Amino acid sequence: MSERIGEIIQVSTTRFLAQSDDLSVLPHFGSFIKTQSQGMNIYGLVFNVYETSIDPNRRAMAFGIERDELLRRQPQIAEFLKVEFEAAVIGFDDAGYIRAYLPPFPPRIHSFVYPCDNREVIDLTEDLEFIRSVNALPGLPVEELAAASIRLAYAERGNDSAFLTRAGQEIAQLLKDEYEKARSIIRRISDGR
Amino acid sequence: MAGKTRHIGSIIAGSLLGGLQAKLDEDINVEGISVGRLIVVDGALNKFFCLLKDVSLEATNEDILLNPPRDDFSKMVHAGVNTFYKLSLQPMLITSQEPEADDRPRPSTTVPPHFSPVCEATADDISLIFGEPGLTNPEIGSPVFMDVPVCLNLERFCKRSNAVFGKSGSGKSVLARMILGHLVKSDMAINLIFDMHGEYGWSATSEGSGLDDPSLRQLLGSKVAIFTVDADSPLYRKIRPDYDVQIPYGIIEIADLELAAGELGLTQAGIETMYRLHDAWGESKWLAKFLAMDAGELSLVVEELKVNDQALGKLHRCLSGLKRLPFIKKEVADDTVARIMNEIKTGRHIVFQFGRYNSMLSYILVANILTRRLHRLYVDRTDSARAEGTEGPKPLVVTIEEAHKFLDPAVARQTIFGTIAREMRKYNMVLLLIDQRPSGIDDEILSQVGTRIIGELGDERDINAVLTGLPSQGTLKVLINNLEPRQFLLTGFAPPMPVVIDAKEYGTFCSELRVGAGVIVNEIERRKSMDSLKANVFGDDEIRFD
Repeated sequence: MSERIGEIIQVSTTRFLAQSDDLSVLPHFGSFIKTQSQGMNIYGLVFNVYETSIDPNRRAMAFGIERDELLRRQPQIAEFLKVEFEAAVIGFDDAGYIRAYLPPFPPRIHSFVYPCDNREVIDLTEDLEFIRSVNALPGLPVEELAAASIRLAYAERGNDSAFLTRAGQEIAQLLKDEYEKARSIIRRISDGR
Repeated sequence: MAGKTRHIGSIIAGSLLGGLQAKLDEDINVEGISVGRLIVVDGALNKFFCLLKDVSLEATNEDILLNPPRDDFSKMVHAGVNTFYKLSLQPMLITSQEPEADDRPRPSTTVPPHFSPVCEATADDISLIFGEPGLTNPEIGSPVFMDVPVCLNLERFCKRSNAVFGKSGSGKSVLARMILGHLVKSDMAINLIFDMHGEYGWSATSEGSGLDDPSLRQLLGSKVAIFTVDADSPLYRKIRPDYDVQIPYGIIEIADLELAAGELGLTQAGIETMYRLHDAWGESKWLAKFLAMDAGELSLVVEELKVNDQALGKLHRCLSGLKRLPFIKKEVADDTVARIMNEIKTGRHIVFQFGRYNSMLSYILVANILTRRLHRLYVDRTDSARAEGTEGPKPLVVTIEEAHKFLDPAVARQTIFGTIAREMRKYNMVLLLIDQRPSGIDDEILSQVGTRIIGELGDERDINAVLTGLPSQGTLKVLINNLEPRQFLLTGFAPPMPVVIDAKEYGTFCSELRVGAGVIVNEIERRKSMDSLKANVFGDDEIRFD
């Protein structure tokens, strides 16, 4: 399994929050991640990444120095910062088959989070049903998220243009009642060609 | 004959009355789907043979129409989802998915279930509907965009009066010649063809090449007898006509002259006057006597019969037109109708030609006079055959060109052609109408026409007229509007379902009748050698006019 990128600190059925291990690594918006919980891989799609002070009562302050220079001069500052990311649960694996819908239970707190490998990204994006789940969650930047994840899957497939066409058609089909939304996603993914 | 089925869509809605609606598959290019195609819908138990009557653009969402996708990628991904193409199909025939040996397609009485696959008809489907080519089921063309024979069932064809309609240049004469050729060859009925323009005898000039195509006599030899009113015509340099026809004044009836009133310039007063003369001098003598009179004698007639002298004078001038037709004589040696009957008895087919006298007047007069007398004979013989329980006279198909002149609503009720068309096959006599102006034909007659072969027609009124009495007129109208030259809509009694065909090449027809193909090739070779001879003598420099 590839190197872990974080640890879960809050869960619900449809989404989870994880804290990054390393300040220098930010997970990509729209990237596919997984966590192992009760013998089952649960997959998520990163939809929100933020860097914040570890103490909710103390905000970070502006120092007027470039970040790299600041951390070199005052390395203790890094100790007061953390990176957190939120992911929407988009599927799980069931006896070796990837199911692109919600698992029976959420991942557990303190489970580790890993990036998905190439095979898993391809399997998860075989159909784009996960966009329907994502679209149903309130407060998500669905258009940006769908476009980012499709572009990523496109790159994982070695820029297979047939996939991009199929993805566009799926988007048009999934969001056929929301033409403007579909249109903006399709415009974003066709930019990546 | 196997064809690969191409899936083009699936059924999404429809009714038997209004027709079926199918969604075209996304990977099918709509521009390759044209109206008039034969389409097969595979139901669960039955195969439905349908006619493609319309193709339309549809959208599932109003927004996409207001804010259309601009780039090709967007258009492509929305195709089939937010935008799609709808096919309107008219179900015509139905047959079981697993037909028994003697199952024939029958009219459709139900519709296929939702999402039944829609395919283009294959060669097997076409031959299931129209049968395999044969002597009594000859191939007359192929469906548009397909290379499969569409056959005409001659047995059914001969059971009704039929028509070939189309504006000039639509290829109707050539198609009519092919059908007549097959009718003659198959002997399903005896043909009497009133050949106004000399196309059905020895040869006919092809509009395309300008060469002389072989016609019925050349192709079918002695099965065809040529009757003519003009034996000295240049038409007969290669082949002598079988009979030189002459018509006595005595057999011309007033009804015949009334039919040609337009051509003769007769007025209503003139017709009344004719009846006075007819009553006074007798049925068979009045015309000859009247035409022989001079001005002095006419004034005596005015006094004797108390007729208007101006009307009489005008009538005399009008009827004098008959004197310019040399085949109409006071006395003739033999009876043409009896000769025609003899030929019919021996099974020969008759092409009746007019040579240089191919005016409307002589055509109408001769066709009407002869057909009327033939019909009388046929009625007598059929009735007596019925009374005696024997076989009646052989079925006769009378072919007339410019049919609207004979079947005009004003005269159709009186003329013999109107009678024949109305009584259908009761007396073993039917018509084959060839016409370019079907709107001039009486509605009642049109509705009695069995098989209709319809070529390109320009006038809306003509299109409405040819559809008189047919079901699914809306669909057929679309098909007629889209016809090109040499394309015909075959509909009515003989074909099991309407179909648009590309008429068969005349050359192929000739070679199928086994003789004639060589003649064409020889003729082309002859012309080529003439051209090269000319080139040798005169040089082949093009003449330019700058």
